[in-house]
Amino acid sequence: MKPGIDDQSKPQTMIQEKYTKRYQNLKVAEALSNNHFYPFACNELSSIIDLGYSQLPKDLKAFIFRDCLSAFRLLPEMNTSAAVSAANLLVKSVESAFPKQKKNLAIVEFKQAKVALKRRTKSHDEHIDLPSLPQDILVHIFSFLDVSSLLSSSQVSRSWNQATSEGSLWRSLFDLHFSHKVLIHIYPGIDWREAFKNEYILYKSSKMLRSGRGYCSYCDSVVWHDNLRCPKKQCRLKSGKKPLDLMLTHQVVNYLLGTTSSSDESDSEDEAVRGLWAYPTLQ
Amino acid sequence: MSESDMAIIKPEMMKSYIWLETSDGSIQQVEQEVAMFCPFICHQVLQKGGGSSKNNAISLPQKVNPAMLSLIFDYCRFHQLPGRSNKERKVYDEKFMRMDTKRLCELTSAADSLQLKPLVDLTSRALARIIEGKTPEEIREIFHLPDDLTEEEKLEPLKNTMDDPRIRLLNRLYAKKRKELKEREKLKSIEVEEHVDERSVDDLLSFINGRDHKVVNTSKRKKKTKKRKEHKNGTCKVSNKDSHNLHSKQRSVDETSFSLGGVSNLHNIEDDIFSRKAEFEDGYIDDEIDPALKEMLDREVEDFARRLNSSWVLSVGQERQPVHFSINGNGDTRRLTGKEGGGDEWFDFSSVTLGEASDPPEYDKVPSDREELVLDVPSSSSTSLFTFELPLSISELELLREDTSR
Repeated sequence: MKPGIDDQSKPQTMIQEKYTKRYQNLKVAEALSNNHFYPFACNELSSIIDLGYSQLPKDLKAFIFRDCLSAFRLLPEMNTSAAVSAANLLVKSVESAFPKQKKNLAIVEFKQAKVALKRRTKSHDEHIDLPSLPQDILVHIFSFLDVSSLLSSSQVSRSWNQATSEGSLWRSLFDLHFSHKVLIHIYPGIDWREAFKNEYILYKSSKMLRSGRGYCSYCDSVVWHDNLRCPKKQCRLKSGKKPLDLMLTHQVVNYLLGTTSSSDESDSEDEAVRGLWAYPTLQ
Repeated sequence: MSESDMAIIKPEMMKSYIWLETSDGSIQQVEQEVAMFCPFICHQVLQKGGGSSKNNAISLPQKVNPAMLSLIFDYCRFHQLPGRSNKERKVYDEKFMRMDTKRLCELTSAADSLQLKPLVDLTSRALARIIEGKTPEEIREIFHLPDDLTEEEKLEPLKNTMDDPRIRLLNRLYAKKRKELKEREKLKSIEVEEHVDERSVDDLLSFINGRDHKVVNTSKRKKKTKKRKEHKNGTCKVSNKDSHNLHSKQRSVDETSFSLGGVSNLHNIEDDIFSRKAEFEDGYIDDEIDPALKEMLDREVEDFARRLNSSWVLSVGQERQPVHFSINGNGDTRRLTGKEGGGDEWFDFSSVTLGEASDPPEYDKVPSDREELVLDVPSSSSTSLFTFELPLSISELELLREDTSR
């Protein structure tokens, strides 16, 4: 063993391991099998591929490739158009960045998934009448939903629309998202939905929620947030009502690759956001 | 059960069954411990002394049919045993919840009418998990619900009351871009060179976004430079369209700026730029596009963007920063066409459905597909679950319609 060569290769492999370890900590693969996180995970993969595939160490490339394949394989089970969109986007990233052989394999997998998906949607054609749920049950069900799902539900039908206008739903959402940073004057007859909406726009929540990611200071890691909280129980207990710091996808990619690229969004608002990229060095 | 309650219940009942009658008239008996797990039945037995015999069967609420009843009792039977660990219960619950949506709904109703709260919770959560992340269309399909809201009503909760005229201007420009894209889509099938026009759309859009061409995906940029080259070598016919587009865009931007009236800041800036542009427009009758002219216009457009952004930041103040605008190049017919209520929304559902940016890639086509249709730079991720837009009042909407119909 020549000591000179060893010394040279060691730091390199250490760096490589660091990236791979970070990637594994991100738990992208697990998220893919979850119905709720699948679109987020696909988007993250797309971003990682777009922003830095060529720089990745070899074994990390292999992981990414493997995860892309499993993303396509899992697509038929995800029965939403959001999932299909995300997969389409992923395929486009794959097309532009992957080397020929891997690209072809991935595309084959994707096409198979599309076929399976088509078959699935065809088999669902029973026209039964479902019993209509009473309003208070609907409200109870909606109390478990996140903002986007709640708004989707409000557009479904008249009875659902009525149920979504229930103030308590919006109040608890307001609490969840903003109570730690907004003081609100509560008066009788307050329209919680309006209040929520105003804060939502003000804090650009729609942008921040796009990634599904947050940074938990208690476990010092980038996690898939579960309703704005860390999925780990201890962290939830410690943090109480305080939600996670939400992260944007490009910030997650920056963390993974150790880069400082900003997102496509050029607005000067990014000034504030860019400062967040430098999370304490995570292993 | 209290002492007095115990006294009321006849000793024979202690080990016996309770008689229940379901909505369809059939009568069955269930072990007491199991049935008493349901508060409804419990009340009936204790307060009204029901269920003691076949003739005295407790009639259950309408929503409880025999199938659901047996399910519920399975649940009760498992859970009423105090000896089970939490983990066991959780595992059982997971398994129990695996059924199709229809049964889940029925079960929820039944459990609710029997006041069995833990089961209601369980089923509600399961239903919430089904609803999560789906578009209204998909939800309607799963639950077989009728689409009985008018367009207006659907968007009613989404209306935004923000009133900044600058935002309205930009919103209008956005809407314009969207419409143009749509028209382009139609023309695309007729004219193949259509894609060259896209570049001017991108430019104008980039000025709206205030986008620095430096801060862009390298892959996107490469595609763009490719297009620029193509464009320069374009034919007369193509440049016709392009210039015409520029024309109409400028005209409409002009109009919108003039209609703003009371916005002092913006108005002055716009005046500057557009008055200069007007000169070009007048002399711009011939159809050949002058590349130098185009460059100049591009520069001015960028300038305007920068000024717009900066003035916006200044006036709005320190705590707030320019609200981020984004569009989706898709599904806007729903919002803009045939609606009187205006395009007011803060939540764009077209982004939840399949966007044009996320259409399945067609492997024979030019890869520029993706780029030209993605107007919105940040949410080029197709699962931009949330985008929002700012209001258009009815009059503005009409103005828009006028413009585009020209």
